[in-house]
Amino acid sequence: MDRREFGIGAAAVALAGLVPMHRATAQSRAESLRVLSEGSPNSFDPIGIGVNRSSIQVTWNTYDRLVRFGTKPREDGTLYYDYFTIEGELAERYEISDDKRSITFHLRKDATFHDGTPVTAEDVKWSLDRIVASPIGKAQFSTGSMTTPDQFEVLDAQTIRITTPKPDRFTLPNMATTYPIIINSKLAKSHATDADPWASEWLKTNIAGGGPFKLDSAVPGQSVTLSRNDGWKNGALPGFQRVLWQVVPNAQSRRTSLERGDADIVQDLPPQDAVSLAQEAKVKVVGVPMAGAFQFIGMNGNMAPFNNVKVRQAVAYALPYQQMFEAALFKRGRPLFGGKPGEADGMEFPQPLGYATDPAKAKALLAEAGFPTGFDTTFSFELSLATVAEPVSLLIQEALGQVGIRVTINKVPGGQLGTLLEKKEVPFFFEGSAAYLSDPDYFFRIFYNGATRWNFGSYANPEFQGLVEKTRFETDKPVYETEVKRMITLAKEEVPIILLWQPTLDTGMQKSVDGYKYLFHRMLELRTLKRV
Amino acid sequence: MWVLSRLLGIVPTLLGVVIATFVLTHLLPGDPAVFFANSPTADAATIQAIREKLGLDQPLWRQYLIYMGDLLQGDLGKSITTGQPVARDLMQRLPASAELTLTAFLLAVAVALPLGIGAALRPRSLIDHACRLISTAGVSLPTFVTGLLLIYLFYYLAGVSPEPIGRLDPFAAPPPTVTGFFLIDTLLAGDPASFLSALSQLILPSVTMALFALAPLARMTRSAMLGALGSEFIRTARANGLRWHKIVFSYALRNAMLPIVTTFGMVFSYMLGANVLVERVFAWPGVGSYALDALIALDYGPVQGFMLVMAAIFVLVNLIVDIAYGVIDPRTGLTNA
Repeated sequence: MDRREFGIGAAAVALAGLVPMHRATAQSRAESLRVLSEGSPNSFDPIGIGVNRSSIQVTWNTYDRLVRFGTKPREDGTLYYDYFTIEGELAERYEISDDKRSITFHLRKDATFHDGTPVTAEDVKWSLDRIVASPIGKAQFSTGSMTTPDQFEVLDAQTIRITTPKPDRFTLPNMATTYPIIINSKLAKSHATDADPWASEWLKTNIAGGGPFKLDSAVPGQSVTLSRNDGWKNGALPGFQRVLWQVVPNAQSRRTSLERGDADIVQDLPPQDAVSLAQEAKVKVVGVPMAGAFQFIGMNGNMAPFNNVKVRQAVAYALPYQQMFEAALFKRGRPLFGGKPGEADGMEFPQPLGYATDPAKAKALLAEAGFPTGFDTTFSFELSLATVAEPVSLLIQEALGQVGIRVTINKVPGGQLGTLLEKKEVPFFFEGSAAYLSDPDYFFRIFYNGATRWNFGSYANPEFQGLVEKTRFETDKPVYETEVKRMITLAKEEVPIILLWQPTLDTGMQKSVDGYKYLFHRMLELRTLKRV
Repeated sequence: MWVLSRLLGIVPTLLGVVIATFVLTHLLPGDPAVFFANSPTADAATIQAIREKLGLDQPLWRQYLIYMGDLLQGDLGKSITTGQPVARDLMQRLPASAELTLTAFLLAVAVALPLGIGAALRPRSLIDHACRLISTAGVSLPTFVTGLLLIYLFYYLAGVSPEPIGRLDPFAAPPPTVTGFFLIDTLLAGDPASFLSALSQLILPSVTMALFALAPLARMTRSAMLGALGSEFIRTARANGLRWHKIVFSYALRNAMLPIVTTFGMVFSYMLGANVLVERVFAWPGVGSYALDALIALDYGPVQGFMLVMAAIFVLVNLIVDIAYGVIDPRTGLTNA
């Protein structure tokens, strides 16, 4: 039964009296999943301009990729993606050549797109060529040494090979991210124009994929309806037949709906709601610390006084970490403060930087740095992050005041902090970001290196930069580990940015909903969800 | 003739609005190209490529000429936040806002007029105090508080209201679009069940908005009526023993109508554009929240389109108010000017 038929049917039943309408909806409710979120998708082309995170929820579930990350349950049983295991999705298997420079993918023979056309290596090649032809796609793909179309080579209808100039650990994980969706190239090409050879305009609002769900309808800013692709061969068939995803801007309204049982899943719960919903225990709250994501205090390393490492350390000792963690985050996260100071504690990064609140030490360091009476500075945060950043900023203002640093708070309207950071004009600020790939050197390459705004501390230590370059193609594991540990030590000693915590991704759901899986992009994996 | 010349007078007003919106949006400090290069792998070259693709590398006057050229062809540009043409977005969302605003407005007028008249007729009576209480509460309670309160009472606790999300039951199909007003379209489609669903979704948000609009309407009605009732011609009419309802409705109310109608026009235009909070709380797909989302996302097209459409509506409402003047009070003389 499709939407329209259902609507007419429900209306016909409802004519007899209003109560049966509820019964009719109840029946279809069991196999439908109703999701509420604040964000709304703005494009179905992952490499388009300004594509937001919500868009991934559509492309992730309506398209397949060649490979996907494996699954590793957490201690509490929540499914979690396993970055270091990569398994086939559209490719039933893949081989890495002996010289580690090429990967050969063998496509599943019976895989088809939603319109029934078989998936061929030509489709894969067109999809990958398309990525390196776009500035955004190319920027991501070059992190895996893929920059030109001739690196993607069709061997036969079911086989495609990717070759890189040097062995690159990041080529394969890049194929499992949100960018390299495999597109039905015949369908897409029929909508291409001379001005738009990659059909980007059409793909913005249409799906030409073969993933586990088909797009039924999408009303911008309001709702998206998906139905299951029953012919999907690249994994176990999803548990829900229909998914109705609605955009509800107000957090309180989303929460009320969940508590009343009208919504099945509410995404991105604010920390305080997650705490109180979990206490009331009427619904399930699944909280997972976001891998790769982090919130931090940035200090502009190009600007006095933050170009002085002692000042940065002083600030790191002066921050009231525990208070901020409790008042702003309601402890919904994994702390990145405290921990082992001055040296690497394992290979994972971000990890706690080893700083704990110690105002006396902060004062001493300030005096050593030549600021015995402190200094004045401005602390900025963007209003879109206000729920967490506002209490953080007030606590920082108070704590730094005690060691002599006088802080003025500057609230930046939504969408504008990025521009200021790009110009490197902000001295001292609160921000958050996330990396898709989990390798520590990948994290350092983006956030501790280079001229982009993502090098939030404008960190430019020559030794560190050398290590970032050396680790890029390092294949010798012990050497790589020594180098990464040195980078971690430097990140702790020189604190270009003060990591605060990895926030928890809190998702509220009915107790009947099972199979939630956390993914690196933080949107829902509909493949595994089911009702029990 | 008069209406025609008034209509022509709208053109320079709108042109001024076009220039103002263009300049204002481009004065915003955020850089859209930076904002849209939101992937951590984006570097300066990516940002430049995006800037060129969006045409933001052109000098401002060129951008303005391009914008004006498109505007003359009825093209309001494209929204990056929704991926749709702005004109289509606005056409889809304006009826939602209009339906909500009109319902709320009629509701507010239906309560405010009798309340204000009653209060003026019996100053310091129970009804006068009620009028004062309701308008004070309406003004001092922010709409989102009223909205959340109503949701809590009627949806969360009592369960008599449907889920306060959107214009229709989430699993029902929207009616085929004729007017864009669900209350009318469902009836045209002969679908009473959807009509009831649309009506029940509409009640809480429109009551929320009506409470907010009630205050200026009731207060203005009261004071205009007080003024009219205190004037000499009413005393004369009373002295002449005219019937009560003739005095109140034919003489006092008609004379009090001019300021009341002006306030109506103002309040209505204001409600249409400024009901963002109500739209947010009830996930109502209106133009207000659309413009706000676009503004936060540094998406110029929709913001300009929204301001332009709002200005046009404002001008139109003013025109209607002016025409109403002529009908209410021929002395204004506008009809034969």
